[in-house]
Amino acid sequence: MAHSSEMISDDIVQYLKDHEQKSLLRFITCGSVDDGKSTLIGRLLFESKLLFEDQLAAVEAESKKFGTQGDNIDFALLVDGLAAEREQGITIDVAYRFFSTDKRKFIVADTPGHEQYTRNMVTGASTADVAILMVDARRGILTQTRRHSYLASLIGIPHIVVAINKMDLVDYSEKTYNQIREDYLEFAKQIGIENITFIPMSALAGDNITEPSNNMTWYHGTTLMGYLETVQVDDELMQKAPFRMAVQWVNRPNLDFRGFAGQLASGVVKPGDRIRALPSGKESTIATISTYDGDLPQAVAGQSVTLTLNDEIDISRGDMITSASEPASIGKQFETTIIWMHEEPLMPGRTYLMQIGTKTVTASITDIKHQVNVNTMEHLAAKKLDLNGIGECNISLDQDIAFDSYKANRDTGSFILIDRMTNNTVGAGLINFALRRSTNITVQHTEVNKAVRSTLKSQKPCVIWLTGLSGSGKSTIADLVEQKLLASGHHTYLLDGDNVRHGLNNDLGFTDQDRVENIRRIAEVAKLMVDAGLIVLTSFISPFQAERKMARDMLDEGEFIEIYVNTPLEVAEDRDVKGLYKKARRGELKNFTGIDSPYEAPEQPDLNLKTLEMTPEEAADKVIELLKQKAMI
Amino acid sequence: MNGKKLAPTALNKLRKEAVQLRLSGETLASIKQQTGLSHPTIISAYKCFIEGGWEAVNTGKRGRPKTVAPSGLGSPDECLTFMLANLPDNNGLWHNQAVQAWFNHHQQPPSLKTINRYLNAWGITAASTGPKLTPPSWLAQHHPEQLSTYHPLSDNADAATHTKHLGITKPQQANSLKLKVIKGGIGQLSLTAAQKTAGLDGYFIYAQDFRGKRYWLMTRNQPDSQDIIHFLERLSNQLTSNLLLSFHSVSLDRFTDIQQWLANQTQITLLTYATSKSSTPLAPLPSAAEQQSTQSYVRNTMALTHLQRLEAESIQIMREVVSKADNPVMLYSIGKDSAVMLHLAMKAFHPSKPPFPLLHVDTGWKFREMYTFRDELVKNLGVELITYMNPEGIEKGINPFTHGSALHTDIMKTEGLKQALNKFKFDVAFGGARRDEEKSRAKERIFSFRTADHRWDPKNQRPELWKNYNANKRPGESIRVFPLSNWTELDIWQYIYLEQIPIVPLYLSAERPVVERDGTLIMVDDERMPLQPNEVPMMKSVRFRTLGCYPLTGAVESEADTLPAIIQEMLLTKTSERQGRMIDHDSAASMEKKKQEGYF
Repeated sequence: MAHSSEMISDDIVQYLKDHEQKSLLRFITCGSVDDGKSTLIGRLLFESKLLFEDQLAAVEAESKKFGTQGDNIDFALLVDGLAAEREQGITIDVAYRFFSTDKRKFIVADTPGHEQYTRNMVTGASTADVAILMVDARRGILTQTRRHSYLASLIGIPHIVVAINKMDLVDYSEKTYNQIREDYLEFAKQIGIENITFIPMSALAGDNITEPSNNMTWYHGTTLMGYLETVQVDDELMQKAPFRMAVQWVNRPNLDFRGFAGQLASGVVKPGDRIRALPSGKESTIATISTYDGDLPQAVAGQSVTLTLNDEIDISRGDMITSASEPASIGKQFETTIIWMHEEPLMPGRTYLMQIGTKTVTASITDIKHQVNVNTMEHLAAKKLDLNGIGECNISLDQDIAFDSYKANRDTGSFILIDRMTNNTVGAGLINFALRRSTNITVQHTEVNKAVRSTLKSQKPCVIWLTGLSGSGKSTIADLVEQKLLASGHHTYLLDGDNVRHGLNNDLGFTDQDRVENIRRIAEVAKLMVDAGLIVLTSFISPFQAERKMARDMLDEGEFIEIYVNTPLEVAEDRDVKGLYKKARRGELKNFTGIDSPYEAPEQPDLNLKTLEMTPEEAADKVIELLKQKAMI
Repeated sequence: MNGKKLAPTALNKLRKEAVQLRLSGETLASIKQQTGLSHPTIISAYKCFIEGGWEAVNTGKRGRPKTVAPSGLGSPDECLTFMLANLPDNNGLWHNQAVQAWFNHHQQPPSLKTINRYLNAWGITAASTGPKLTPPSWLAQHHPEQLSTYHPLSDNADAATHTKHLGITKPQQANSLKLKVIKGGIGQLSLTAAQKTAGLDGYFIYAQDFRGKRYWLMTRNQPDSQDIIHFLERLSNQLTSNLLLSFHSVSLDRFTDIQQWLANQTQITLLTYATSKSSTPLAPLPSAAEQQSTQSYVRNTMALTHLQRLEAESIQIMREVVSKADNPVMLYSIGKDSAVMLHLAMKAFHPSKPPFPLLHVDTGWKFREMYTFRDELVKNLGVELITYMNPEGIEKGINPFTHGSALHTDIMKTEGLKQALNKFKFDVAFGGARRDEEKSRAKERIFSFRTADHRWDPKNQRPELWKNYNANKRPGESIRVFPLSNWTELDIWQYIYLEQIPIVPLYLSAERPVVERDGTLIMVDDERMPLQPNEVPMMKSVRFRTLGCYPLTGAVESEADTLPAIIQEMLLTKTSERQGRMIDHDSAASMEKKKQEGYF
C-alpha cells in the first residue's frame, strides 16, 4: 500500500514530517488507448489509494455506461477528462494527473498517441523526467513506438521505460518479452537512446505495477512503481551545470533595494559568487539571495529567488544572470529544431515572435534545412512545415540573446514561436547551435545617411504599399500617383510585377512560401530605396497580412503606408485585364489569389480606396492628399 | 532581533538553538522569545536543517568576496588567476613545467628560471630546501615504522642513497612493491598588498618528492576535505608509481570522506600524521560541510522537496504574469487554496507587496467567520482588497433559498465575476483552481484564455511547453492563471501546516448549529436562513472541507480540531473534497459546462 495508513492513524505528526521530505517526479505516458495507457494510469491512481469512494462509485456507474471491461471497473474512465472525449473514447489533449506514494509525488502528463497528436506529446514531454512508452505485447514495436521514442529523445527526456503491457494476453511469455526487448534495443541503438528499462506488465491485471508478478517469475527487474520511486530526478543533474537565471522581474520596493527575481535554470549560487549579466556582459558579485523566509546561504536549480548584487549594473527583464567563469553564449542566428504546432504552416521568410526564457524577440526562419519524418527519422527536403512537422531550421533574430544549447540546458535552450497576428503559440524550438556566419558583418557608420539624402530631395522617404486583388486597379493608381509626384518634383520609384518578377524574383513561383519570399525581397529592396531617400510605390497583390506586417516592421515608424485597393472579387474578375481569372477558373493557373488561394484584407489600412465609388484619378488624389497630411511631401 | 548585527558564529549558535527548540515542538513565538530570532530566520534555519543537517544551519560568510582583476595578456598575475580557477588539461596537477607550458601559449614567454622566481615569490615553491634529506633518512626521522616496508623504486636515485646510508639490502623479488615517498601539505599564497586588493588570494595543496619537484592545485578559499580528495585524485593521475604520502599541516585521519577515498584505492598509502618541524600548521581544517558556502569548485547539490518545487513553480508563474499583464488581479475566495495562493504571492514579490489587488466576488452569503477572517488578514498583510457584489443580484434579492443553488451561483458568482473583471478592466486574473479537483480540470492550462465575453473554449487553448507561458493577447481577451494547477489537496494542507499559514477556523472542528437537509449538514450561520416546520438546529461537532456560501456548503461531522488531525482525517476518509459543494452534484460534465460559461 502506497500510503502507510497505520502511521497516519498512529502518529500523524511524524507522518507529515516524513512526507514533507518527498521528492517530485514528472513523467509522461506515451501510447494509444489500445495499448492500455489510460488503464495503466488509472491503475497507478488506484494502487496509490488516492481514489475516494465517491470517485470510485462514479467510475463504477460510468463503467456500466461507457466501459469496455464488462462488469469490472474500467480504470481508463478514471482518467478521461472532457465530456467530448469520453463520448468519442479517445483523448484529445494533454491531461495532468497526480498521485503520491510514501517516497514521491508524481505528476503524470497523459498524452494521446496518434501522429496527429505529436504536438501534444511534445508539450507533455517538455517537463518530464521519465517517459513510459506503452507497447502491446501482442503487437510488439510499432511505428508509433518508434515515433514516441524519437520524440522522447529529441525532447531530451533522460530516462525511458518500455512498458511491455498486456503480458496476460500472451500467456506471460518470456520469449515474447525478450523478442520485443531485442527489437527495441536494436532500434534504440540507431537513434542513440540510452538509459532504457524494460518492464513486462499487465496494467489490467496488476502484474509488476506495484507488486512483483507471480505470473512472471522469470523477470527479476523492478516493478513500475519501484522504478518510478527510485529513478533519479533531472533536477539534481541541472544543479551541477553552470549557474543560469533568467530575470523575470526587477524588484524595487524602495531606493535601497534592487533585486532580480527569477527561477534558477541550473547550477548553484551563493553570496560572493561572481556573475555576468547577459547579453550586456557586465559583471558583479552576488550580495544576497533574498527570500520571504530570510536570506539564503545558497540557491540551487529549480528554486525561485531574488538576487541582489554588489554593484549597480543595468539588468532588466529578459536578461540572464550567469556564472562569470562559465557564462552562457550570445547569439543572433541559430540552427534549431522546430516542432510546428499550428494548422497554418511555418514558412521561411515569415517572422514570428520568439519567446526564450523571459525574453521575447522577433525571429525569422531563414531556411528549412530539412524535415524529419517522425516515423522513419528520414530527412526530407521541405519548403514549409505543416502541423506536427519537425524540421531543422535556421533562424535569425533581430537582437542578441543569451542561450545554451538545448542538449546542455533544457530551460535556456528552448523557445516557443508566437504568431504575431493571432498570438497563438505556433511552434516549439530547440537551439542546436549558433551560426556565426554574420559575425563579420557589422553596420558601417556612414556620414551620408537617409536624412541627408532626403533633405536634398525635400521629401520624407516612404513606401506606399498598395495591396489588393489581381485586377483591382493597383498598377493604374500607382502609375497616376507617380506621375503626380514627379510633376511636383519628387523623386520616386515604382516596384511592380513587371520589374520584379522578371528579374530579381524570376526564380520564384506562386506557392504560398514563394509568395512570402517574393514579398520579403520586395520589402528589402524598398527599404534600400527608402534609405536612398526615395518615395517608393509598390504594387503587388501581397495577400497575407503577416508579410505586409513583416514589411512594415522592416521600415522605421511611419515609413510604411498601407493602401488597400478595395475592389470586390466579382468586379476584378469581371475586368480580368490579363485574362488570368479565366485561366484560373479553368484550372490552368494554380494558387491564384481570390480563386484557390486566400486574400487577407488589411484590418486597418492607412487608406481604403473603394474603387467602385471613385475614378482612378480621384483615388490617386486621395493618396497625394494622405502624403501631404503625413507631411511626406 | 536583526541577525545581521550579530557575528556569524553567534548567529549560527542561535540558529542551531532555534532548530533544537523547533524539533522539540516549541512554537515559533516561544522560540522567538528564547532566541530573539525573527520568524523567517527560525523557519529558514529549520528548513536548512531539514535539507542539509546541522552544518547547513550555519549561514554563509558575509562581506565582499575576493574578485579577479584582469591584467595583461600572459602576465604573472594572469597566470596566478588562471591557476586559481583551473587545472592542467591532462588530469594532473600544476608543476613548474606545466606553468611554463601555460606561459608558452602567450606572448613573450618567460624562461623557466623566471617562472621559478615567480613561484618562489608566491610561496608555492621554496627557494632553498634546507639540508638535503633522503627518503630513508627522512622516514627514519619521522616515520620509523615505515622503514621496514619501504622499498625504493629501482633505477631511482633514492635507491642508491637509501642502501648507502642505511645499509639495507635491496629486496630480492624484482616485482615487489615500488614506492615513492611524497611530502604534502597546505600553504597560503604569499602576495603583495596590491595583488590582494586586486583579488588575487588563495591557498594551495601541494606534494613534493625528494628531488624537490612540487605538484600543486590552488583554491580561492581555505581547502576542505573535498579539495584534498580532488588533489589526491589528481596526484594519483600525475604520478603513476605507488606513493607513501606524508601530509603536513593537518591530520587527514579526521576526515571520514578522505579516509573513505583512501580506503577505496591502493596507489596512495597515507602515513599517520607526524609533527613536522619545518612547517607551521595552519588553522584547523574545516570539514567539507562547514566550508560549503565558500567553496570554489565543489558545489553542493540539494534535493528539493515536492513542496519546494511546487512553491518555486507557482512563484515563477506569478512573476511571469506580473511582468506581462497590464492590470492583473488575484481572485480571493477566503478558502484554503486562496490562503496558499496569497501566501505564495507574498513570497514571490518579497520584499515588495504583491503588485496587484485581491478581488473578492462576494455573494453576500458567505460564513460570517469568513468575512471577519478576510478583513483581519488584509489588514495584517497590508494588501489591497476589492470586494464586488453583483448589484442586479442585490436588487433582485437573489438568494440560494428561494432561487436555488444554480441561479444563485450563476448570478452572484459567474455574472458577478464577469462584471467585476469588466468594470476594473483586469486583463489577467489569478485563480486558485487545481487540476486534481475535478476531472474536467485535468486538461486545463495554467494560462487559460477567455474570449472577450469570458468564455472558455476547450478546443482553442495554447500548448504550454517547458516554463514558457505565452501571455500575448488581443484587446478584450483575458487570461485566467492558475498558479496552483499542480498542487493536490494534500499538498495544500501540508504546505499550510509547514508554513503555518492562517486559515478560516471553520476548517477546524467545533460545536456549531446545524440542520440536516437531503443528507447534508447545513450550518445555520445567521437569521436569514429559513427553517422548515419542525426543523430545530442542533449543536454538532462539525467542520468544513470547502468553504463557499453557507447555505450551499455541507459540513462534515468531525472531531479534528488541529491541522494534523484534519490531514489525518482527509487521508483516512474516502469521500472527495468537492462532495461538500452542492453545485457539483449534477452530471460529471457539469463543471466543464460551467467553466465554458465563465464560472471559474
